[in-house]
Amino acid sequence: MAYTELTVWTRGIIMDKEGRDIVNSVAAAGRLEGKYTQAMENYVDNPDRTNAPTRKYCRLSDSEIENALTYENEHPNIVVLVEQTMVKGWDYMRGMPPGGTLIINTHYSPEYMIRFVPGPERLTQLVCVDAAKLADHKWLYYRLGELGLDRLSTEGAAERNKAIAPDIAAPLIAAVVKTTGIVKLETIEPMIANKAAFHAGLEALQVLPLGQAVA
Amino acid sequence: MATVLGKKKTVRINGCVAAAQAAKYADVDVIAAYPIRPYTATMMALAQMVANGELDAEYIVADSEHSQLSIAHGASSSGARVFTGSSGVGVHFAFELYSPISGSRMPVQMMIADRTLDPPGDFGSEHTDALATRDMGWLMGWSCDAQEAFDNHLMGYRIGEDPRVLLPQMVCQDGFFVSHITSEVDLPDPGQVKEFLPPYKHPYPLDPRHPVSHGPQIMPEQGPPLQLERARAMEGSMPVIEEIHEEFAKIFGRRYDPWIEEFMTDDADVVFFLQGAHAVTGRYAIRHMRERGAKVGLVRLRTFRPYPTDRVREVLSKFKVVGVIETNMGLGSVSSGGSLYAEVCGALYESDRRPLVHSFMAGMGGEAIVLKEFYWMTQKMLEAQKRGKIEKRTHWVGFED
Repeated sequence: MAYTELTVWTRGIIMDKEGRDIVNSVAAAGRLEGKYTQAMENYVDNPDRTNAPTRKYCRLSDSEIENALTYENEHPNIVVLVEQTMVKGWDYMRGMPPGGTLIINTHYSPEYMIRFVPGPERLTQLVCVDAAKLADHKWLYYRLGELGLDRLSTEGAAERNKAIAPDIAAPLIAAVVKTTGIVKLETIEPMIANKAAFHAGLEALQVLPLGQAVA
Repeated sequence: MATVLGKKKTVRINGCVAAAQAAKYADVDVIAAYPIRPYTATMMALAQMVANGELDAEYIVADSEHSQLSIAHGASSSGARVFTGSSGVGVHFAFELYSPISGSRMPVQMMIADRTLDPPGDFGSEHTDALATRDMGWLMGWSCDAQEAFDNHLMGYRIGEDPRVLLPQMVCQDGFFVSHITSEVDLPDPGQVKEFLPPYKHPYPLDPRHPVSHGPQIMPEQGPPLQLERARAMEGSMPVIEEIHEEFAKIFGRRYDPWIEEFMTDDADVVFFLQGAHAVTGRYAIRHMRERGAKVGLVRLRTFRPYPTDRVREVLSKFKVVGVIETNMGLGSVSSGGSLYAEVCGALYESDRRPLVHSFMAGMGGEAIVLKEFYWMTQKMLEAQKRGKIEKRTHWVGFED
């Protein structure tokens, strides 16, 4: 794992924090393990709008990150979809080198979801985790009235909730770390607010192994 | 209520937040804000500090950039320490105010997070927004990362408010490359800031108890001395800038050459000359090319106004070829490329060992300048060195073989 890119696709504003928590916690854990890391949001996706697709990036490297000023992860090794309907409609697999991992927050099985994935031959595994259920989350769409108060971009504002992964990000981070080994579980676990959902995620994830070996 | 500063610590923040933090450490009195990306993140961070009770300041959201700078001008005239900022077309909407602010010698500080003008109007960084105001009497310079941005903001206040200077400052950083890239920043001990930056005291503030006139209507014959005074203030700021950088180094332990940063130039034949964040990628590119035997280096201009003519001449005369990386539009200018070329050539005119000079149009539209583009430009410079003359003045990088 000399150089790894993790890209999280999420939905503007209402699931912004979930995406940020994933890239920020993985980058922070990487730093604790002595790696060079970088976490950022996609610059041109902001200012985000409610429900619009937005991307968050994380880069980990054993040496200095020389492309720190490039806007996007051009070759993501790991892709996370924070919301299951994002599986259709845009090419989140673009640029993925052979041997990649795709992780989806969904109550469906990977055997069912694989049919929607563009370019699945690049994957070494497809991982599904029902993060909303594991985090005992009242699904976001039912909270739009409440979330509607916050319809403008959150760019530049600090999080109201300082806790990292208090909600559905916790099982997703568990899935990322357990299936890819991008950082060690014991490094990232102390940062996670919702430990119950994190541990439940470790147990409940479904992995579909696929042919492609890591390049 | 008073501004609350914590103990010395290292944080991971981006350039926008670093600028906001610097304003807080400088304990500004008035913030004039109007949103435009990427600067917006700075005003958001400041709004939050005021709302949380960490920063005791008047926070005014204007109805446009023109009003924003008018508020800044008025507040500064009454003796307040003022922070404002903008990006791209926002910088230009306020254009009318730049000359009056420097003309009345008000040390307003403005954070610029560069953004392209329209077109293309994307969020990426070109320096044209700030550079177009270069002759308006504002001190101006670029940082290349969040730490340097923080430091430049503190030094900016100290320099601009010095009674020998009294000039406004544009403290510039590249949009995205600095403004939205997170890196480690040392936030100083409040005692250090107190030692470095005394409270602002304008000699002649507007005050009903001590009436003075600012900016009265004048007759043509009163114009020349007024303009000469402003020119002298700009010129006279140079030793003050050097002195204050030295003092900053003593108090904070970070030493910057106020004018020029050289990277691997010791035995270099060809060098890049640029401002801002592309120096970060440039340094990696130069290390790689050095491994392959190319004698290439990098010269980064840190202060653009006042322009260090003698220093630029002295430094660049050592080399055979200079490649100016513009990241700005100088349409129909001396090189038909960017406006930095003329500044470089102007400084070199009096040299008896003039290098060849290229103008490279790279990073336009705010595109990242990637390693291979630095390799390509180096190749062009090496070819010019071998040939003893340039192929042409301006190269649009990415549009030629």
